Amino acid sequence: MSRVVRAALVLWFLVPLVPILLWAFANRWPFPDLLPQQWGLDGVRSGLAAGAPHAFVVSATLGLAVAAIATPAGALAARALTSGRLPIPRVVEAVLLAPLILPAFAVALGLDVLVLRTRVPSPLAVVAVLSVAAIPYTTYLMRVAFGAYDKGFEEEARTLGASRATVLIRVQIPLLAPALSGAAFLAFLVGWTDYVVTLLIGGGRMVSVPILVASFAAGTGNSSVVAALSLAAVIPPLILLTLVARAGPRTGTST
Amino acid sequence: MSTRLELRGLTRHHRGQHVAALNGLDLDVNAGACLALLGPSGSGKSTTLRLVAGLDQPTRGTVLLDGDDVTNTPAEQRGIAMVFQRALLFPHLSVIDNVAFAARASGMSRRDSRAASQRYLELVQLGDFADRCVADISGGQAQRVALARSLAAEPKVLLLDEPFSALDSALRADMYALLRSIRDALNPTIVLVTHDQSEAAAVAEEIAVLIDGVLEHHSDVRTAYVRPSTLAVHRLMGGLNEIPGSIASGVHRSELGSHVLPADICARDGPATLVIRQEVVRLAEPSASSITGTIESLQSAGIRQRARVRVGSSSVFVELPPQVSAAAGTVVGLQLPTDALHAISTRAGGAV
Repeated sequence: MSRVVRAALVLWFLVPLVPILLWAFANRWPFPDLLPQQWGLDGVRSGLAAGAPHAFVVSATLGLAVAAIATPAGALAARALTSGRLPIPRVVEAVLLAPLILPAFAVALGLDVLVLRTRVPSPLAVVAVLSVAAIPYTTYLMRVAFGAYDKGFEEEARTLGASRATVLIRVQIPLLAPALSGAAFLAFLVGWTDYVVTLLIGGGRMVSVPILVASFAAGTGNSSVVAALSLAAVIPPLILLTLVARAGPRTGTST
Repeated sequence: MSTRLELRGLTRHHRGQHVAALNGLDLDVNAGACLALLGPSGSGKSTTLRLVAGLDQPTRGTVLLDGDDVTNTPAEQRGIAMVFQRALLFPHLSVIDNVAFAARASGMSRRDSRAASQRYLELVQLGDFADRCVADISGGQAQRVALARSLAAEPKVLLLDEPFSALDSALRADMYALLRSIRDALNPTIVLVTHDQSEAAAVAEEIAVLIDGVLEHHSDVRTAYVRPSTLAVHRLMGGLNEIPGSIASGVHRSELGSHVLPADICARDGPATLVIRQEVVRLAEPSASSITGTIESLQSAGIRQRARVRVGSSSVFVELPPQVSAAAGTVVGLQLPTDALHAISTRAGGAV
């Protein structure tokens, strides 16, 4: 790949972030000026005053809960799909991947009434629906991982006296750690970035980061607070991404 | 570490297959013995090991350890360790932690398990490699670590599933020597699966031959070479000479003439193939009293030559000693030592 193409790709990814970065620290930026007239932290202060810390807690909880459910569920589904023991694997796979095809809006619009009538607590319902939305991603990623996974390691461990629990903890999870952390990261993003499901099924009582950002974005003159919140929203996934990268292929050395 | 292994009527039908992968295997391996399970690809060798290890369940039959039925005992509770063709070292553990895996799985602390495992690492001459990452060792070293890891589990029976087949010949010779030293030190009961008769002869004192899931031969190594039960076993053991003929009153008659069979062969009258190892046939000066033939071709086998001698419509292969050379087209006499003769009935497909 030539340098020019590489530079163009970097620009393509970074240029859209420049206005957000500028807006986040702009107290005043009238049109048609190229740069803000006045720099400051008004946007950050407005965000904090509007309940940004709580929204971050809500979003992080949603992301973590979805990751905690969708990652093992996806791993189990992937294991079943690659085991060759499912009677109708294509059908099972289609059902598991169906949430990717169905628009979240259509699903959420139908389910909000059901959640109200069955009196299921809305946070629980939001986590449940988002987990279903995340399972296709975790299943797909884990299926690829299980496809490359050598079951011989488990058999070897068993002949060395390892119980099924020991095999899981000392062999399977360490060998699949890179894929599991990747799947967990994707599932976290589903919860972290969701707007439609949280709004419709949460009934407006769950104020997550995307909902807070959207409420400011719907008004006028809120560009700096929208930019500050959006910028802050990138930080937790970036931290997680760093952790996931560190969980990459591991090789053991004695300590 | 030594335990007697008995297999009784062991049968395994793989799902969706009409023919049994293993059919009624009866086999005894004495405590401390090393048995080589020999057979071509798909003959049921690895299936047998997996059934013994408890990784697969037999369709029928039993596995006994010192007389105790362990057929339904889970693999992790059988005390049977297995070394596979690939070393399968856990990539997230260091060399010493791989060897210490069994001790850790049994609940021992990391420090104690490492201390206990060092002995086995030294037994395979890799004591200095304890802290290495498994990605940083060679294929031969990986197989040594795999062997140490299985030995560290102090198994009742050690199963080796073609563990040396991926190694070059020099490394294989090293591994044979290592296996002998391990046997001297620990005296484990070993079942080695291989498709290489020379490997079987190098490490085992007993050979069992599986053909199409059926045990066709079980004996000591020498008998497997000179008294094979069937022609398939004879070929698998590297035998080349098969002279069709028939037996009458303990005498085999063929184009090579009449040959009195050794007394220990219970000769049954009828059609039978005379077999004799190419290594024991000798060339001689042609005479009226000897078998006479013409060297049809010569094939190099290292420093030796292998001659194909045409006698009538039959061919007799002769492995020439290193100091003997011959030329194609030469008329030669053949000496067949009587005690090395063997005959296999071609009517029933088995030994006479």
